[in-house]
Amino acid sequence: MALAAVGTGLVAEAQSAGRPPLISVVKKGAEKDTVTLSGLRAAGPNGQLFIRTLQRDLELSGWFKVVSTGSGAVTVNGAVAEAGGGIQSNCRVAWLGKNFGWTKVSMGPAEVRKQAHQLSDEMVRLVAGEKGFAQTRIVFVNRRGRNNADLYMCDADGQGMQQITHDNVAAVGPRWAPNGRDIYYTSFLQGYPSICRLSVGGGRSNLASFRGLNTGAAISPDGSRAALILSYQGNPELYTLSLGSGQLVRLTQTRIGAEASPCWSPDGRSIVYVSDVTKTPQLYIVDVATRQSRRLTYKGAENVNPDWSAKGKIVYATKRDGGYQVAVIDPRIGEGSCELITSASDYEHPSWAVDGRHIVCSSRSTLYILDTLGDPAVRLINIAGNWMSPDWSDR
Amino acid sequence: MHIRSLVVVNVALMGALVFMDTGCRTKAGGWRWPWQKDTSSLLSNDANSSLLDNNTDLSKVTDEAGNVVSGARFEDTLQAVQGVKFSPVYFAFDSYVLPPSEVSKVEQVAQHLKQNASHVLVVEGNCDERGSNEYNMSLGENRALAVREYLVKLGISADRIQTRSYGEEKPAVAGTGEEVWHLNRRGEFALFQK
Repeated sequence: MALAAVGTGLVAEAQSAGRPPLISVVKKGAEKDTVTLSGLRAAGPNGQLFIRTLQRDLELSGWFKVVSTGSGAVTVNGAVAEAGGGIQSNCRVAWLGKNFGWTKVSMGPAEVRKQAHQLSDEMVRLVAGEKGFAQTRIVFVNRRGRNNADLYMCDADGQGMQQITHDNVAAVGPRWAPNGRDIYYTSFLQGYPSICRLSVGGGRSNLASFRGLNTGAAISPDGSRAALILSYQGNPELYTLSLGSGQLVRLTQTRIGAEASPCWSPDGRSIVYVSDVTKTPQLYIVDVATRQSRRLTYKGAENVNPDWSAKGKIVYATKRDGGYQVAVIDPRIGEGSCELITSASDYEHPSWAVDGRHIVCSSRSTLYILDTLGDPAVRLINIAGNWMSPDWSDR
Repeated sequence: MHIRSLVVVNVALMGALVFMDTGCRTKAGGWRWPWQKDTSSLLSNDANSSLLDNNTDLSKVTDEAGNVVSGARFEDTLQAVQGVKFSPVYFAFDSYVLPPSEVSKVEQVAQHLKQNASHVLVVEGNCDERGSNEYNMSLGENRALAVREYLVKLGISADRIQTRSYGEEKPAVAGTGEEVWHLNRRGEFALFQK
């Protein structure tokens, strides 16, 4: 439901002037509702932090345009008082004759930001009828050099960045579990690839360190199984591993071929993965129950890094015209539904937001949030580093 | 709140790495992760194996036939052999076929293994920086496996050869361009004493 449309141009530029690369957005900007926050009064710094965070969240959500003059289609009125090193909010959101109240106490700046994320997600849910991502987080890798990397994470608005490992050894392919707390990734801490689980706020443990390759762990939507790539039986193959019983099930039999990058379908019945059985890496989908695989992609020299959204579409990196582009496909239709989201400018490792609309990806050491409905790309963080392999949490 | 506890954990981890290099072998001969506490002094010798696995998500992994999948790796249990170096073998772009030009290098390694019965080998597969780094993990493994397969053909027991892939994470040469990429698409050899 768009009460007022805000158009943007055909080609948008990354936020920071003078920093390559340019981002070409294929579609025009998405329709949005206008929002006024001018009726929301804040007396102190925490209240202002709340409003600033809320405004940024609403704009990043893609469903709202915050306007400072006139009356928006959506209004937020009320007060955000300073209270005990945090805030006490008391406000009302109104649109099209509907409204809801919001009253909450938060202690400390981190909690103030969290409350702003919660209100933004609530406005996205009630006004736009969509799922917001303001409370989610993004994990990614900083590769500093030869066998030297660590994991970092930040909030979906790029704030609150934290280094979460301090190993100075290679780390590959971090993925959030559906619970939004556990991160699975491939670590070289022991001098060979093994799959680790890192619990945010907790410890770290080992999931698989068999002979040969252990990599690519992705957790099923119900949290019961990992899809992973192991080579202990001969060469890299796709398996599932029950996190309860420790039972392994082998899903591929490719004596000449390597599998990589598994990702579950939202119903947990299928897994999309990369295989080079036909020489170049392409996407395949396997039915977990029958173990029957079908090839999904043919166009492009390589198709890698698939991620399956809750809304059913698969985003991946396709190599065409020499560089990687982000592409979206509906697996029920096939490659005829393929849409290219970016130009061929080394866009890699796309990962869906929980809204099934936005995508985080890397390009030339920088992380961007892309919008499949056409809003300009947004640079996620403005800190120097060799950032890569972002993965967006579901919650 | 959790951020603070993470920092503490990581500081402790860094300390562990400084003193232990990358983890260490326990008195009982098992492997202890660098972030695991050394509980061996608190336990009798028979009791510690299960507790040393505290930081493993699964106490046992079984395949479909019901067999327990073993994780024993040379890197975890054996000492590296110092002072023996072999030339790396190089691969073509996106390929894990052992090129004819590289065969004699593998034959030299086979010769060494035949003459040193107590030595075992880890073949390490590596890739250039191009392509998906996740796919390169699998490509690197297949390169190491191609070398292993040839060593087996030359009469070396498969039990004496394990593989590991570093994908594109450990280039031999920094930089970019054909010459650099060629030097990074390689198999390397690490000997261990049985």
